[in-house]
Amino acid sequence: MKHFDEFSLPLEQVSPMEKHIRKVLRAWADTDCIPFRRRYDEDWKEHKLIEPAFQKLMVDLGFQKAMFPQELGGWGIGHSDYVFRIAYALSEEVGRADTAIAVAFLVTIWPLTTILVEPHVNWRLAREFAPWYVNAKHPVFSALTMTEPQGGADIENMGLLGGKTLRTTARLEGDEWVVNGHKLWPTNSAGVSKLFGVPCTTKPGSHDKNDFALIFVPTDTPGVSEGNPYEKAGMAADKNSDIWFDNVRVPAWYRAHGPGLDAQTFTEIIPWGQVASIGFLTGAMLNLYERLYEFVSTRTYRNRPLKENDAVAGVIGRIAGDIDICRIVGYEAACIGDRRNKAYGLPIHDEEVIGKIRNIKDFVSDKAVENFGRAMDVLGAYGADREWDIEKHWRDIKIIQLWMGGKQLCQMEAARYFFNCTSI
Amino acid sequence: MNKYLDDLFLYPKSWVDDDALGFAATARAWAEKEILANRLEYQQGYDTLFVEKRKKLILDIGFERLVLPEEHGGYGWNKPSSAPGILTVFTEIGRGDEAVAFIAALKYAVFAIMTMQPNVDTALLGELAPLYFADELKNVALILPGAGLDGENTALFNGRSVPVTLKASPDGYTLSGKNLRPLGPGFTADLFGVVCSDKGGRACLAFVPADAKGVKKGAPLKMTGLNACRNTDISLDKVKIPKSYLINREDVVTELYAWLNLLLGGTSIGGAMNFFEILTNWAENRTIKGKDIMKENPLCAAVLATVAEEIAGARLMAYSMAHIMAQPESWGGVGGSGVFTFAQMLGSRIQQACLNALNKGMELMGSAGYAKEWHVEKHWRDIKTIQSWLCGVGADVPVKMDIARYFYDCKEV
Repeated sequence: MKHFDEFSLPLEQVSPMEKHIRKVLRAWADTDCIPFRRRYDEDWKEHKLIEPAFQKLMVDLGFQKAMFPQELGGWGIGHSDYVFRIAYALSEEVGRADTAIAVAFLVTIWPLTTILVEPHVNWRLAREFAPWYVNAKHPVFSALTMTEPQGGADIENMGLLGGKTLRTTARLEGDEWVVNGHKLWPTNSAGVSKLFGVPCTTKPGSHDKNDFALIFVPTDTPGVSEGNPYEKAGMAADKNSDIWFDNVRVPAWYRAHGPGLDAQTFTEIIPWGQVASIGFLTGAMLNLYERLYEFVSTRTYRNRPLKENDAVAGVIGRIAGDIDICRIVGYEAACIGDRRNKAYGLPIHDEEVIGKIRNIKDFVSDKAVENFGRAMDVLGAYGADREWDIEKHWRDIKIIQLWMGGKQLCQMEAARYFFNCTSI
Repeated sequence: MNKYLDDLFLYPKSWVDDDALGFAATARAWAEKEILANRLEYQQGYDTLFVEKRKKLILDIGFERLVLPEEHGGYGWNKPSSAPGILTVFTEIGRGDEAVAFIAALKYAVFAIMTMQPNVDTALLGELAPLYFADELKNVALILPGAGLDGENTALFNGRSVPVTLKASPDGYTLSGKNLRPLGPGFTADLFGVVCSDKGGRACLAFVPADAKGVKKGAPLKMTGLNACRNTDISLDKVKIPKSYLINREDVVTELYAWLNLLLGGTSIGGAMNFFEILTNWAENRTIKGKDIMKENPLCAAVLATVAEEIAGARLMAYSMAHIMAQPESWGGVGGSGVFTFAQMLGSRIQQACLNALNKGMELMGSAGYAKEWHVEKHWRDIKTIQSWLCGVGADVPVKMDIARYFYDCKEV
């Protein structure tokens, strides 16, 4: 194997534009991110070192406009038959360099998928928000504010709870929504974002999906306040904080779609997040392979390169094999998403799609946690060393395993589909 | 949680004498008062803010003198039979902070080589004890066998490269080695315990003062965990030491590994037990699905059970190791192949079990698992750092080869 690009991809299903996108992002990673990332941890609060990487990626290269329709100044990827696969490739390439930059960038697009991706394009909102992103001279971030203090990942468990545990309320007064509530942990909070997508309930305690509302809230709206960023084990490029909504008023048409379809598009957000998460993980694992390759080729056991020892080869062979398999199944998760409009596909809010994609994310997360841990052990005395990069990924990818409901929700969603469970 | 940890995680209490239980209680009180009650404040700089806390434990309470014989001002725990007791104490310190326990463990292990009966080296102890057990904190780091560099042909210790060479000179020995990665606080070390190879390629242990001519330290390294333990790479450029600063008895390196495995096992178990306390609090106060207490959900309860299983199993393995080490005459000495192999085997399993407990338990805590506020991620990073460091190089392969050599008489692995 001459290069990590030789890890398997279903080449017949790759988008014609993917090669070009990967090339551009690869150059960004190798010149604008990787040379600096070992100092990102200390920059978690200020983002002085991190900010230029966002500037290049999102503005100079233009990726923050990618999802918007071409007629609004975007690249029209939201209308592409390959949109999931392109999102996967983006996640992988940026994740190879830094999964936190990857999540901060992709989450900017995430809430907007509900209004920009066929078949649910909300043209009025698209026209409203597009200029913010496509004309900007600086990175413009968005956030999807899901988690609430009392329920953790319950909000993502739409299959069982249908939004029943939501405490953030939206009340229609005249031609305005009035939003009240408290959210925790969204990526791109702590003053980073310009726009929030806010899951709310119009009837607290209801599990009727018609009472679920997804409302867009510009962060400079009176009544919105954010806390200071939390300090975390890793992912310094992703800021998270508390958010409070205190009688926040936005136009009535800032609701994504309306009763029923809001819950559906929110449910569809979950596969988007999972596919991107898988991309982050496989991207990080590609970089794991690069760094591990160097170590096992230059360091020895019994005075021979580590990779030439049969027992060590058994360990690193398994790691590389797992990366290959993860990439194959990760790409399949993206393909499931892109089949949503095909006769042989399923809509992405379908239980089968959610169950299968959650299952793949759970599998790839477990493999990533296992293999980064093993790789650190192969490095031994150097495993915990920032200079070898693997430990940074190890801290970051554990966060990916835990977010969006973590492992247990993945297991439940998979069980619901594969075993027709009705009460869990 | 309304149960005392020692009542939950059963262990062979009769193997631990009253002296040790008393000292463990003191260590627990230190951890509660000095560390656990204020630990969020320490995040701004463990390496500096913990110095006073370490002084209280190490100097004021006198913990580090446990390893010294009474005639050298110690507590006289320099008998292998003290192993279960010292394990108990290290578990309590590790519960407070792994890095504090880790630094203490390295010093204990290195000095055990010259203080532990029947190998008390009174002359060497007479020289080193006054220098390194004085009124100030004195740190010890180790240069252990590990990864070699392609193109270099080094002496080997059970397959691991020994990159430091030793040459005899009329007035002592000269040590040389480049780009050496210490285990422990290399940047702040006052003394290095250096595994080196003599002319015949045999591994032995040399004591190298950090201020000796030819010792060069690099810049401090950024590491995953153990933030109170600052490390760096060092080089030894023809460093001279007196003849008495070398211990070259047959089993000196295997003995060192045995003590390290025991003490660092206790350190990680202590950290994992504190994680258990945090997780229990979380699981008792968190609702899921809008109504259920987390611990009452069968899936979550199963994960919680795994966490407890791993920690309980690790603790029992550690006491078994301590019991074996406490009766070295039955097994060919602490550095004998039997005790060494079991220490390596159980030590590796203990670290993996503790890390698995953390990894699994964190899955239930979502963002609280990786937020510094909850302190879980620190235990996770610290234990992972210890576990990876103990691997040396090549994951668990060197330990597997140690085991294979012992059980199957393998000659070539």
